[in-house]
Amino acid sequence: MQNLKSWIAFSLLCLSVLAAGQAMAAGDSSKPFAEHRIVLQISDPNPFKQTLVLNVANNLLKAYGGPDKVDIEIVAFGPGLRLLFADNENTSRIQGLADNGVRFAACNNTITNMAKTLGSKPAINKNAVVVSAGVVRIIELTDQGYTLIKP
Amino acid sequence: MNHKIVKQGLSTLALGMGLMVSQQAFSANWLMLQGTEPTGSASRANVWGFVQAQYQKDYSDAFVAPNGSELYIPPKLIGPSLDSQSQFNVNRARIGARGANLPLDSNTNYFILAEFGNNLITSTADYDGTESTTKYAPHLTDASITFNNIKQARVRVGMFKYPGAEEGMQAIHTFDYINFTNVTNQLTLERFPSAEDLNLAPQPEPGNSMNRFSQPVGAFRDTGVQVFSTFKVGNWEHSYAAMVGNGNGVNIGSNNGKYNGYLYWSSERVFDGGGKKARREGWKLFAWGQEGERTNAYDLSQEQKRTRYGLGTKYLKKPFRVTAEYMWGKGMIFQGQQRPQDMFNDKEADGGYIDIGFYIPKSKWEIDFRADTYTRGENAAASGPDDKTKYNTVTIGTQYHFNKKTHATVSYDFRNDSSDTVAVNNQLEGVGGRLAIQVTAIY
Repeated sequence: MQNLKSWIAFSLLCLSVLAAGQAMAAGDSSKPFAEHRIVLQISDPNPFKQTLVLNVANNLLKAYGGPDKVDIEIVAFGPGLRLLFADNENTSRIQGLADNGVRFAACNNTITNMAKTLGSKPAINKNAVVVSAGVVRIIELTDQGYTLIKP
Repeated sequence: MNHKIVKQGLSTLALGMGLMVSQQAFSANWLMLQGTEPTGSASRANVWGFVQAQYQKDYSDAFVAPNGSELYIPPKLIGPSLDSQSQFNVNRARIGARGANLPLDSNTNYFILAEFGNNLITSTADYDGTESTTKYAPHLTDASITFNNIKQARVRVGMFKYPGAEEGMQAIHTFDYINFTNVTNQLTLERFPSAEDLNLAPQPEPGNSMNRFSQPVGAFRDTGVQVFSTFKVGNWEHSYAAMVGNGNGVNIGSNNGKYNGYLYWSSERVFDGGGKKARREGWKLFAWGQEGERTNAYDLSQEQKRTRYGLGTKYLKKPFRVTAEYMWGKGMIFQGQQRPQDMFNDKEADGGYIDIGFYIPKSKWEIDFRADTYTRGENAAASGPDDKTKYNTVTIGTQYHFNKKTHATVSYDFRNDSSDTVAVNNQLEGVGGRLAIQVTAIY
């Protein structure tokens, strides 16, 4: 009986992980008419880079004619994860981009390491999806044909 | 086809609307701008500062005494050295750093700034018993730490600008003029006389030893602890600050064990899309008060209460800017550079100013006009040495913005000063115009 419960719990966990993976992977399938697929990397501690990466995403949306024509995901890891802190001053801009189909991925490895420094896990922007490793997420996307840009 | 166009149009509109959400920016809200850092994106150490180089020329006439000799007093000379009626000067050269010492933690930030320019903070008098010479020493002006753990009650400790008059709180490198108004200069820019400061008579040569103070001017700063915050209600941004400090300016420590209390409130209607930071567009109403005690440097048994209050408003929506403020004070009323002993008085003073700015559209030019008035010694005994004295100044000026970090300012003050005390009036009658040209570069 105990084993059965464990298997059910394990199955549910696997399903959850798969669902999360599907949710992220669904990003590309939800934009069937996208002519360009781009992953933007932010891993830099420089605050200016935060503004820059958001500006680049904005400019890409404008240049390619809107959210339907371009598929953009911003992956944050290392010091760059601060962009996706819940209280980041750019929260309203992130919301604006998310409303226009831009996806945000937050690195769980970085969150774990930051928690050791801060004493608790930093609160992450609600528009961000936590991925196991930011760099792995970038490799996954580039394998799918995404162009990597590191502003 | 039409469907596609509509869809694209809606898509573009939605994109524009979504991206138009303004960034968090604490504009002319000096409490937040100077005391906090952007959350989640502050640097560990953002090195910054500014340089101001200037030329000033005073067109005042010397007082001609009955014996025919000409006499000069400090208001007719260019400070801080008071050696001539015109000079080039590097009046401010500040370097500092600010940021979040641990960038991962937005709850803590710091601010440190030092002054290397030649002004009343760094250039003070050195008395040898009969006359004064100039002593120059760079000085720390700001060194503070802010804790933002409780957003509704942020705590700032250390030395920093206290909450008070707009001209004092305003970042000086964004100031639209070169010299302060009389009311701000005399009523709120506190001087700290020392027992060795002498009373020197008006001098026949500008280069002679003049009355000056041997301690740095207050610089609108104090050392202590401040609780403050800002909260938004609709389009309005309300701010408060309560502070307790030593009441000893940039001298950091306390000189008498007494504390100075400060209260401040402002409510600002923030206009949408109206720029950022120091020149964000909005309409602000503010009021402030300060109270403390000073010990007479010449008679340690005397404790003199010092009270200051003020209220004002600032409107900025390009191309127009209007600022007006009224201030009142009692006790420790500045009597000019002369008679430093008389600073420890219980007299009253009040005054105000109105400032109007016009940003010439599609140009880098700005035109400024300011009128200020100040009256001190209103409750002084008739015919006393510190009887009622009035200062009225009209300033016209212009600014040229080379770029966002560099601008030139030119101003001319039309001054009209008078006093009910004959001896003082004799000296003030000749106070005339003053030309000032300044270049500011921020880095």
